[in-house]
Amino acid sequence: MSRTPPRRAPAPAGALAPQAPLSKDSHLAAEIKRLVAVGERDTARERYGELVASQQRRAVRIAYQYLRDAHDADEAVQDAFVKVFTHITSYREDLPFEVWFTRILVNACLDLRKSRSRRLRWAVPMSATNEVAPAEPAAPDPSPEQRLVSSERATEITAAVDSLPDRQRTVFTLCHVAEQTTAEVSQALGLSEATVRVHLFRAVRKLRRLLDRA
Amino acid sequence: MLDAVSSAEQEHLSTCGRCDARRVSMQRLLEEVSETAHVDADAAFPLERLNRQQARILARLQHEGRPARVIAFPAGHAPHEPIGSRTRPASRWIAAAAVGGLVVGVIAGRFGHDYSFQRAGINRVIASRTVEQPELRAPVTTGGIREVAASISDDEFLDQLESAIDAPAAAALQPLDDLTPLAWEVR
Repeated sequence: MSRTPPRRAPAPAGALAPQAPLSKDSHLAAEIKRLVAVGERDTARERYGELVASQQRRAVRIAYQYLRDAHDADEAVQDAFVKVFTHITSYREDLPFEVWFTRILVNACLDLRKSRSRRLRWAVPMSATNEVAPAEPAAPDPSPEQRLVSSERATEITAAVDSLPDRQRTVFTLCHVAEQTTAEVSQALGLSEATVRVHLFRAVRKLRRLLDRA
Repeated sequence: MLDAVSSAEQEHLSTCGRCDARRVSMQRLLEEVSETAHVDADAAFPLERLNRQQARILARLQHEGRPARVIAFPAGHAPHEPIGSRTRPASRWIAAAAVGGLVVGVIAGRFGHDYSFQRAGINRVIASRTVEQPELRAPVTTGGIREVAASISDDEFLDQLESAIDAPAAAALQPLDDLTPLAWEVR
């Protein structure tokens, strides 16, 4: 089985047909596109802020699951949102915005992973440079519930998901972390729905084998 | 998390405890995995960080599509005499001299190159004629150009070659020679 992650694969013809009524965000994206087209960029940018706020949580969950690094996830999400606005005129209003955005986000994550591995190959040891990344303020103390989840079991789960082959991991992340349907994932990744289901089935089977306590 | 159960599947699950238990356990596992992923990401990205991220995105978009702002070079520390007026004629002369030198060098090289080839051609002609007409043999050495012996045996040639190789100036080329494969090695 190929371990190559899905990368800008062209979607099969007709695969992008909407299967459900378009979401509020899709309508908002279409409106932003119209505003940009008539040259009202400032208004479009204001409206885009609403779209960012609506999609941001889901985006950071996907990116963090994919990259496992808060700084990289932050960068990938920012890049994806900037790219979406820059190319908003190419958005097709008859399609769900979430699918289009997810596709751009996954590509941004892949780009970042590639540049991260290149960086690691040529990186100067930290002791040799004086540059230190600005520290993000620490998250507030976790609640007892969060502490409970971030226990050994959480580590096991994270390790199990990380051990999945790239494509299975992407499909699993989009289905179970981003909570997209297999049809949406197939549209976002440009794979057939049957292929998505096969990857999902294999991912779940492997996770069960690794995580089942019984 | 799991797909919706069809009526036939539902019917089976209601009668098969094993499959039902399996489905419930899988459902629980997937919920656990998703919950862990959400908690991890949400802990790494608290609300204030999301707000900051949103502000950065909008700030980046603010500059998107606009030309970069060019900052003027500070003029406050200009000396009394402008630097340009003092150095410009000198640098112009230097540049002109460099170009002139380059042109002269190229032309001289070109002529020298052609001349040596012409001399070699003349030598070859003379050598061939001296073989045919020994009375024409005369020294043709001109400043700096060695006369090529018309008749040189293989032994003489190899002697000259070996003595040239043994010369101290050739020692510097020895590492290169070591790196170069021999003719019979590359066959």
